[in-house]
Order: sequence, then C-alpha cells, then structure tokens
Amino acid sequence: MIKSDKAIEVENLVKVYAKRNRQPIRAVDGLTFAVQRGQIFGLLGPNGAGKTTTIKVLTTLLTPTAGSARVLGYDVTSKPLDVRKQICVVVQENAIELHLSVRNNFRVFGRFHGLSSGEIEKRTDRVSELFDLRSHINEKGLDLSGGLKRRVQVAKTFLVDKPIVFLDEATTGMDTFNKRTTVQAIREESRKGRTIVLTTHILDEAEVLCDSVAIMNHGRLIAHGSVESVKAAGLRLLSLSLSFDQVTDSILEQIRFHNPTSIEVRNTTVDVTVREETAALDLLAAVRHHGHLLHFEITAASLEDVFVQLLDKKAGAA
Amino acid sequence: MRAISAVVYREYLIRITSLTWIFFDLAVPLLYLLMFGVAFDKALGQGILIGGRSVSYNAFFLAGVLSMTSFGNALNQSYGFFIDRDNGILYEFLTYPMTRGEFLLGKILFQCGMTVFQSVLTIGFGAILLGITVPWHLLFFVFVAMMVGTAGWFFLLATVAFLIRRNDTFTTVINVTYFVLMFLSSVFYPLDRVPTWLRAISVVNPLTWHADVLRYLTVGIGSFESVLIESASFILFSLFSFWLAVRTLQNTI
Repeated sequence: MIKSDKAIEVENLVKVYAKRNRQPIRAVDGLTFAVQRGQIFGLLGPNGAGKTTTIKVLTTLLTPTAGSARVLGYDVTSKPLDVRKQICVVVQENAIELHLSVRNNFRVFGRFHGLSSGEIEKRTDRVSELFDLRSHINEKGLDLSGGLKRRVQVAKTFLVDKPIVFLDEATTGMDTFNKRTTVQAIREESRKGRTIVLTTHILDEAEVLCDSVAIMNHGRLIAHGSVESVKAAGLRLLSLSLSFDQVTDSILEQIRFHNPTSIEVRNTTVDVTVREETAALDLLAAVRHHGHLLHFEITAASLEDVFVQLLDKKAGAA
Repeated sequence: MRAISAVVYREYLIRITSLTWIFFDLAVPLLYLLMFGVAFDKALGQGILIGGRSVSYNAFFLAGVLSMTSFGNALNQSYGFFIDRDNGILYEFLTYPMTRGEFLLGKILFQCGMTVFQSVLTIGFGAILLGITVPWHLLFFVFVAMMVGTAGWFFLLATVAFLIRRNDTFTTVINVTYFVLMFLSSVFYPLDRVPTWLRAISVVNPLTWHADVLRYLTVGIGSFESVLIESASFILFSLFSFWLAVRTLQNTI
C-alpha cells in the first residue's frame, strides 16, 4: 500500500564514510528535500557532490548515518524491502550480465520483478523496439559496445512498472540518438505517472527534462525547486549573444567593465552572462558605441550558467 | 520464494552458457578420487585401520573428496561476487525487491543442486570403478550433508568476499586458509594417530565435522553420538555464517 503523496522525502540526511586510519568523509551533510509524485526530478552537482551517495541511500544500497529518507512513505532504513518493491534503478556502474544475451538480461530482470514469462516476452518486444535493440536481442552482453550496454541497462527499467525510477548518470556513454530515445522514454514514463529521479552532469538535458531540480555541492543542498525557480534564485542571470563585424579590444574592455559572470568569444560573436536586466541593457548600449553590432539576443541564463554561478558563489563563501 | 527462484534462474542461465564449465564442475571430484585416492590406496597397500576396522584408502577418502567438493563449490560461488561486483550487476541486484538473505539463499541453492549432481557422480563411479561399498539407504542424508556443507562454507566465504575488495587478495587468503584447514582435518587421514596438538585443532575445525559426518554416512566409520554432535556443530556454524553474511552484505556495499 502506498502511504504518501510525496514520492521522496529526505530530512537532514547525513552519510559519513568512516575508513580506518583515514579522515571520515561527510559525503552527504544535512540534506533536506522532497519530490512530488509523477515528477521528473534532477539531482545535480559536480563530481563528489554527494549525488550518488544520496541515490544509494534512497535505493537502500547504503544506510544513512543520521537523518531520514522515505520513498513513497517507506523509511529506507526500517523498511528497505518495501522501498525496493517500489523502485527500479539504473546504477552508475555498467550493470549487465555479460555472459547472457540481451533477451536473457531482460528475462532475468523481469523475473526478479515478478513478471510472468509471457509478460516478459511481450514487454521485451516493446522495450527492444523502443530502444532499438531488436537487432542485438540475441547478442551477449560481452559483445556489445559500451553505449549499447548502457542502453540495455536503461531499457530494463522500462520493462517493469515500478512507481519510482532512479537513473544515476543514465545517459553516460550514449550517442545522441540513444540519448534522445532515452529522454523520450523518460518523458513518456513520467506522463504515465511514474516518478523519475535522475542525476546527470549534462545540465542541458536536466533543463529540458526535469520538473524540479536540487543542486548539491560538498554534500549540501545549494538550490532546490522548479527549474525556473532555481534559475531565478536571486541570481537573475541573463545571457547575451552579441554578433559584431569584428570583435575589438575596446568592445571586450566595455564588456569586462560591466562585470559579467562569464565571457566566451566565438569568431565575431561574444557570449556574455550578466546579473540583472539593467546590467544587460547598459552593456548593450555601451558596446554599440564601440563596434558595429550586427545582431543581439538576450535570454534567461541556462541552468548551466546558474549552476556554475551557484557553485562559484558557494566556493567564494567558503 | 519468487526472489529465490529468480536468483536460481539467473545462476542457471549463466551456468548453461558454458558446457566446459559444467563438465569440469561435475568431473573434478571424481577425477580427484580416481587419481589421488587410487594412488594413495596403492601406496598404502592394505588400506588403513580406523576404529578397529580396516578400510581401503579409496573408501576412507571418499568422504574427504565430498567435503572438499562442498568447500570448492562454495568457493567458486563466493568468487562470483567479485565478477558481479566488477560488472556492476551486484549493486543492481541489491536494489531488486528481495531481502539480502533471499539473495544469498538463491545464490547457494543452485550450487547445492550442482553439489548433489557431483555427489551422485562421485559416489556412483566410486562404487563402480573402485568397488567402494556405500550404504545406499543413507544416500539421502549424504546429499543433505553435502548441501548443508556447501551452504555453510559459502556463507562464510561470501562474508570474506564482501569484506575483501580485491579478488587476488581473496584468492590468496582463502587458498592459504583452505590448505591449513584441509591438513588440520580428517579429510586426508584419520586423526587417531596424529600428534595431540594437531588433533586438538582438528576437533574444532568445521571441515573435520563435515568430513566425519560424510564418512559415517558413506562407509560407516565413527560413532553415532559423535557424528550427531558434529552435525549439530556444523549446522550452528552454517547458521552463524548465514547471519554474518547477511549482516556484512547489508553494511559493506
């Protein structure tokens, strides 16, 4: 019986790795967040931020040192089996049975999740079609490329109807086509009411996919909410794309004068990120007097810009 | 039960991918008996005197081969955790809807089936080729003892495999330990004429308990009372090992 309207509730979660003769590592440090049911939720952060540790706690692979975590109301420490009955997981490691064919990988996964043989065969056809695995269905895991192995691993989770899916860096190693297929499949599953929790380094992917995100750094939460609210989180970053007939030193000097958070020059185009609308408009007015501005575009900063800005700010504060 | 049968199904699918593997798994104990046993039997000539009875070395050694088979199967199965961990699949398994105990029981249940097949072959060919007389009415208990032995050692070795992260370290530690355990037990020779210190260690060695129980069941050597105590001791050892393996699996991944 599902006990909660929230898919995931994490309160003051702490995970410390204590190793003999070594300083304990506080991988997760007082994390609190919640995920609504049916959402696509992105857990973002740089390497070593504590994302995978958080996922491991939520999927019952690790027990927390302090605090609590509940999946559909079930506590991960006291009710781990009930939690496991609600989830399916793409772990960060490439997890595929190397000596078994793709079909048998699906069969084993389906069996573990309680599907009948007939149901497994039916769903295998659907999933292998969806992930374009038909031509590989009888190949052994050992003979597949890295990207294909990952595809099989992701495809397995769509074989079963668990209410919550965890995808830890699921698209790592996939080519553009497979990434697109995976993203589409994630969207479709979410529309069916499944909650998807994903971690990724590819922030563009998170931006287009996620309903809400949490950004972590050094085990702590530094931003949490809808993608739009995180992007607007007091930073009001704007991206300007300025195209000139030529980029001169005086143009760059003017841009730097307006304290941009980032500058990138590509041939005759300069991409700039600034805080506040007024800074953007002032900068635009200033550069017009120092060069021939052919084209400009002002957009809200991407999640990646905000992400970098948030991490810089935290690093500065530290 | 569904989870256990799923683990058994997975083990079965993996095992049937290599017929060579199956052949050697099944044939090794028999080869051990035919080569090692026969050589010693000839070397000793008149067999060995134990508990006032003279038995051929082949007959004596049959229980030793069976107990080594249990240990070897347990070792092979526990080594699989390193492969599963390297493949990453172990972490995925642990997120499946099953308890850690069900996972371990499923892992060993398939291997117990293999153990029974090996026992049938070894005892059958031992009787046909070497003339070893086995009390056939006790055969069922031999199989039970073999399965309990395999499971007990597997749970202990699985615990070690979870704690030791490197497979080469695991192999070294287990090989050395196994070597010592084998020669400090009744696997190869009767213990009534060995030095007192060796006998003292042997009586607390689970390999001795297992070999003695199997020897009683295959060639009738030993007293019922002492075999009963050794059986109970081995069952307790297996239950403790199971508890330890589950606990370690919960805490070390």
